[in-house]
Amino acid sequence: MIFGIKEKSIILTNFDVLFAIATNIHVRLKTGFVLQVAVQGTVSLQCSNVRRGFHRAALLRLASDSKSDTSVPPPSYHEVHTAGESSSSSAQGESSEDAQPNTSFQDQSGEHGEDYETEEQLQARILTAALEFVPQHGWTVEAIAAAAETLGLSSASTGMFNNGAGDLVLHFVAQCNAQLAETLAEQNNQVQLGQAEAKKTAEFLKDAVETRLRMLIPYIDTWPQAMSILLLPHNIPDSLKHLSTMVDDIWYYAGDRSTDVNWYTRRAALTGIYNTTELVMVQDSSPDFEETWAFLDNRIKDVVNMANTAKQVQATGEAVVQGLMGAAITVTTQKMIQFPERNILSTKRLLGLLF
Amino acid sequence: MHRFVRPQLMLRDSKQPLLPRAGHLCTNHKSVVSSVRGYVVLPPTSDEEEKAMLHRMMRVDHAGEYGANRIYAGQMAVLGRTQISPLIQEMWDQEKQHLRKFNEILAENRVRPTLLLPLWNIAGFALGAGSALLGKEGAMACTVAVEESISEHYNSQIRTLMEKDPEKYTELLQLIKEFRDDEMEHHDTGLEHDAESVNLNYCHDRMSCMNYNIKIQILNNSNN
Repeated sequence: MIFGIKEKSIILTNFDVLFAIATNIHVRLKTGFVLQVAVQGTVSLQCSNVRRGFHRAALLRLASDSKSDTSVPPPSYHEVHTAGESSSSSAQGESSEDAQPNTSFQDQSGEHGEDYETEEQLQARILTAALEFVPQHGWTVEAIAAAAETLGLSSASTGMFNNGAGDLVLHFVAQCNAQLAETLAEQNNQVQLGQAEAKKTAEFLKDAVETRLRMLIPYIDTWPQAMSILLLPHNIPDSLKHLSTMVDDIWYYAGDRSTDVNWYTRRAALTGIYNTTELVMVQDSSPDFEETWAFLDNRIKDVVNMANTAKQVQATGEAVVQGLMGAAITVTTQKMIQFPERNILSTKRLLGLLF
Repeated sequence: MHRFVRPQLMLRDSKQPLLPRAGHLCTNHKSVVSSVRGYVVLPPTSDEEEKAMLHRMMRVDHAGEYGANRIYAGQMAVLGRTQISPLIQEMWDQEKQHLRKFNEILAENRVRPTLLLPLWNIAGFALGAGSALLGKEGAMACTVAVEESISEHYNSQIRTLMEKDPEKYTELLQLIKEFRDDEMEHHDTGLEHDAESVNLNYCHDRMSCMNYNIKIQILNNSNN
């Protein structure tokens, strides 16, 4: 009954997988070895639709086996194949493994419940639930598996997440950014309605970054792991995108409407501030992260100082140039008065070019 | 120039801001959007591709107007004290107006400006000043060439938008058509004022045109 399932290379055909899944429950009970390995091993071998079909079959089968709360009709392979063949029936497939594990399995005959959710919604739900298990399991697939079980699904549903822990971290980051954007929009509304005072830029930036970083506090112990996951090459495009939209949002609500190179310098500066403050935060052990907020304050002051200094330098430079031009004109005009017979057309044009 | 404003609340269809500075509540609104003007030029869309395309178009146009602004600045720097200067100043003012409009659109719709702006700053000024050093005819030849390129660029944008959905992009089409007409006017003004009398005109024409076309190509490619 139990084959050498420990080696991924054994699982090569559909029927083998199916048989392996069917025996999963026995394997798990006896060896405690989760068969996710086998399921994931098939990813590269089959098209994603068929894989998803099998996952659904697995979910249906295993959820019912492990929970044994409801009487579940045996997985209909017809259902599996139709679900596998067309993505349009994915919703139908999903409806059978819906939010209420105790009530929806009767719908396999073809009718689906009125409030079925899409795969993305299901994934979002699982990942949100997985955040609770992060302090315990870290940012890993185990946390997702634990969450899936809490929701009444099988732990094999982690196969839905191609990126594993990366999906969890990115989901968390997206959630935090959305929350931040909502908070900033709400504050902005308050200011517009006159119910709150508009903050100065430096203070606004400080508050926004602090709000965002405070969302990390519940997960601060495991955050270095999350940061390293975000730095993996295949995660970098997504993490950069999240970071840049977050910084853009903060500057937008701070009132930045620049359309020149300042657009870039400001966002680059804020990105730098955010990243360094995040790094300080994971190493901070002071009460309520006081040192982190002090660090943040100082960095923002630096940036503001630099901006002011740049403005001053520019103003001084302009004044110096004006002075020099004035001197040049005086000298040249004197020469023109003294030597009128010289060809002054080119001199005039040069003057025109100079100032 | 950079501007700092707080996003204002406005009624979608009105030309008045919903809330004056004092800030009183109005309960009769259908929907509230953040906008500096009463009507929106870019149609709101949730399709990512379409949004990207519109943003790209606006970015290129903004860079183009910025460059044109700098070209006229260069011309005025050299020819600012000659007879032709009021004419150049007038054309420059119109370009400044165009640039202001595009700045507004970029700010409203949170469009990223192009990273190559400092490059266009220098290149535009150099082109304007360089052509003006050849005299009034040189400046006019440069204007003609550049405006021809800009008009062609706007025309191709109009064609693209018309092909997609003329109704949806009504305001945007109106805006681009208006700007294109202004640029054609500059082109004709340049021709009127002896642009074609310069011997080097042909080479210069081609060079300015090429310069501008390169500009637009780079922008189109880099923002794709």
